[in-house]
Amino acid sequence: MSVAARARARALGVRERMAIAWAMGLVLGAAACGLAGYAARALPPPRPLEELSYYPSGAHLEPATLGHAETAADLAWLRAIQYYGEHRLADNQFARMGHVFDILTSLAPRFEAAYEFGAFALAQEGRDFPRAERLMLKGIAANPGSARLAFQLGFLYYVQPGGRQLRRAAEYFQQAARLPGAPPQAARFAAYARQHSGDLVVAYSLWEDVRNHSQNHYLREIAQKEMEKIRRALETGRREMAVRKLPTPVVLLK
Amino acid sequence: MQSPGVRSAERHGIDRPAGTASDSNRDLAISARGLSKFYRSPWTLKVTRGLEDLNLEVARGAVLGYLGPNGAGKTTTLKLLTGLLKPTRGEAWLMGIPIASPESRRRLGFLPEQPYFYDYLNGREYLKMAGQLSGLASHEADTLARHWLGRVGLGERPDLNLRKYSKGMLQRLGLASALVHDPELLILDEPMSGLDPLGRRDVRELILEQHERGVTVMFSSHILPDVEMLCDRVAIVLDGRLSRIADVGELVHDGRQRVEVQCSGVTVIEIPPAWSTTVTRREHGSDTVFVVEQEHLLNDVLAWLLRSGVRVRAVSPQRASLEELFLSAAESSEERRSA
Amino acid sequence: MNAGLIAQNTFREATRDRMLSGVMIAGLVILIATQVMSPLALGEGLRLTIDLGLSAISMLGLLVVLLVGSSLVAKEIDRRTIFNLLSRPITRPAYLVGKWAGLAGALWVVTAGLGAGLWLVLLSRGNADHTASILQATYLAGLELSVVTACAVLFSSLSTPVLSALYTLGLYLVGQWSYDLRSFAGHVPAPLSTLLGTAANLAPNLPLFNMRTLAAAGELTTPWHLAVATAYAAVYVACVLCLASAAFESRDFK
Repeated sequence: MSVAARARARALGVRERMAIAWAMGLVLGAAACGLAGYAARALPPPRPLEELSYYPSGAHLEPATLGHAETAADLAWLRAIQYYGEHRLADNQFARMGHVFDILTSLAPRFEAAYEFGAFALAQEGRDFPRAERLMLKGIAANPGSARLAFQLGFLYYVQPGGRQLRRAAEYFQQAARLPGAPPQAARFAAYARQHSGDLVVAYSLWEDVRNHSQNHYLREIAQKEMEKIRRALETGRREMAVRKLPTPVVLLK
Repeated sequence: MQSPGVRSAERHGIDRPAGTASDSNRDLAISARGLSKFYRSPWTLKVTRGLEDLNLEVARGAVLGYLGPNGAGKTTTLKLLTGLLKPTRGEAWLMGIPIASPESRRRLGFLPEQPYFYDYLNGREYLKMAGQLSGLASHEADTLARHWLGRVGLGERPDLNLRKYSKGMLQRLGLASALVHDPELLILDEPMSGLDPLGRRDVRELILEQHERGVTVMFSSHILPDVEMLCDRVAIVLDGRLSRIADVGELVHDGRQRVEVQCSGVTVIEIPPAWSTTVTRREHGSDTVFVVEQEHLLNDVLAWLLRSGVRVRAVSPQRASLEELFLSAAESSEERRSA
Repeated sequence: MNAGLIAQNTFREATRDRMLSGVMIAGLVILIATQVMSPLALGEGLRLTIDLGLSAISMLGLLVVLLVGSSLVAKEIDRRTIFNLLSRPITRPAYLVGKWAGLAGALWVVTAGLGAGLWLVLLSRGNADHTASILQATYLAGLELSVVTACAVLFSSLSTPVLSALYTLGLYLVGQWSYDLRSFAGHVPAPLSTLLGTAANLAPNLPLFNMRTLAAAGELTTPWHLAVATAYAAVYVACVLCLASAAFESRDFK
């Protein structure tokens, strides 16, 4: 068949071509919708929306960053550090710091350093321990597998200005010790905090763990000593042999 | 490289009756039946006629001049045939292939009115791309691009950016892009537009050359002398309708021919009384044009002018019949419109 | 083959346009700026570099799509250069596909160039371990830009350059919010929920192409995610180009 004959045979009018294009468009569109729905269900974004609803201001800000929340968080981080530095050198007044770190961590819930720095700055220089505690708990909720954050929360309770919360500290040190990537000191901090909170039985088993698993013979010796102290205290009923009142942490800003 | 071959040099000037069998379309370069284009305004819903019921047949190898005043539907017709506009109704074929198929444009060379090109390309790149889009292989397109660039007088600087082309250069490039792929059919919209007399002469020569090779040419123009010189047939379109179609050959033997003699250096000169009704003069810039109403007087008038010390610059036969044909068609259209 | 020629030509046009080289330079300046700002980030310089680098790729790419892509077809119609193309044996769908492929190709070059620049900066910092995550994030950014380019081609074939840019930007914004829209649709009553759900489906699912959060932490996404994202991009682009072809088929060029 000649080119002309073939062209005559298959020449489609404008309407036919439009109809074919529309039909293909609709079929492909349906496929695209299906894939998008699947992706939304099976491959959710790294930040589930419901966890952000606890911090409405941060949640409202995120959509405005148009998918660049991490970058916006970084820029907010730079700003937060500047804010901290300026006020640390000037008036030691950090009224907006809580809000800044709240926004920052809402934009980037996996930005662990922001929780850490923010919580300690709020607790110490900011003199706002409840807010610091909320920030760290938010971090742990968003990063349940983070040994670093669990350990830092434990430490936050441990150095709480005006009165350590040793039981809480121990709880989080223990949680940290159980998670992959735990700081090596988490286990013994847990044991220490339990011991001096008065929970000698638990402390004993924690020290036992340290003794049995630590690679450092010096730490194993310390663990052994503390275990003996606790045993003697429990046997004699004289808890003061194993439990010591630790000094109250204070914040001194010069 | 496929060297441009010489095709048969037959001139077909015979008026064919509009056939009904589609097979006859194959023998025709252009065939249109009831081709129409109407525009409806989306706001007022008013319908405007661009073209209505065009029935046209152009035999292979013919040269058709397509005349009409501005807004008559010349460009609409050409764009319908080349696929840039979609017909509201009717059909048309190019070399037997329906215009709805892109294949109908494979052997077509089209020059739009006042062509525009890509600023960022140079002449050679543009022609090569044009050739490839019309089906040439890359190497062949490159070779032909260089050839045609030279042929239209742009070969000196093939790498000159199109941004720097003048209007005349763009027109030449447009012509080259219509010819680069050795088409069987040329559709040209105002091919002389924007060209100086030398350019127009070159275009006329190109058209004649293609005609000698058997290429069918259809072109629209305002310039009646060019049309009359180049075309076998002339179609006149007015107000979106084909008004008249005639062989130019029929008009050649019309006895009444006017000749214009353009002169310079005319000081005080009086037309002899014997010629007072047959020779008139008009000023044309710094020149004077003597219009000789009867051709047989030409030699005597020329002799008189030369004796008078006048410098004769041009002698242009005016086919009054073509102009009259055009004007009478335009007048009757005006009458119809006002009636 | 004709689509390939149009693509080649469009690619040539895009790469000869000063906009593209300007965008590359801007991206490199941003990368340099991240290194200047790095000391201010209190140890989070790596995060800053990756986030800003990846954001720059996306934002600069979007800028090119809005400025160049939205006038891709409209400019040709305006300047009447399209007459020289469509009067040749090329179908209108082939023309549109070629236009899309040419600009998308140029954007892939920009994406790859800036991605390589980011990688080199990370190498210079001694962070070669982030290579794989940067590669994945850059690939997804390229897919995202290809999808948005298709939208720009659709609007450009129907409208003026300015309107086309606005429509493209609007669709981009809705696309970035598509997960939010799906979530909101689940919490609102019937007619509004249908509307939101439809908008979420019609707009491109852009969060699917966003792994900036993972890349900031040096983490990889799953091969399945990459496969779904690639398939979605292909299907969505094909759908949009079909619809553009349907609309373009009957377009008159006066």
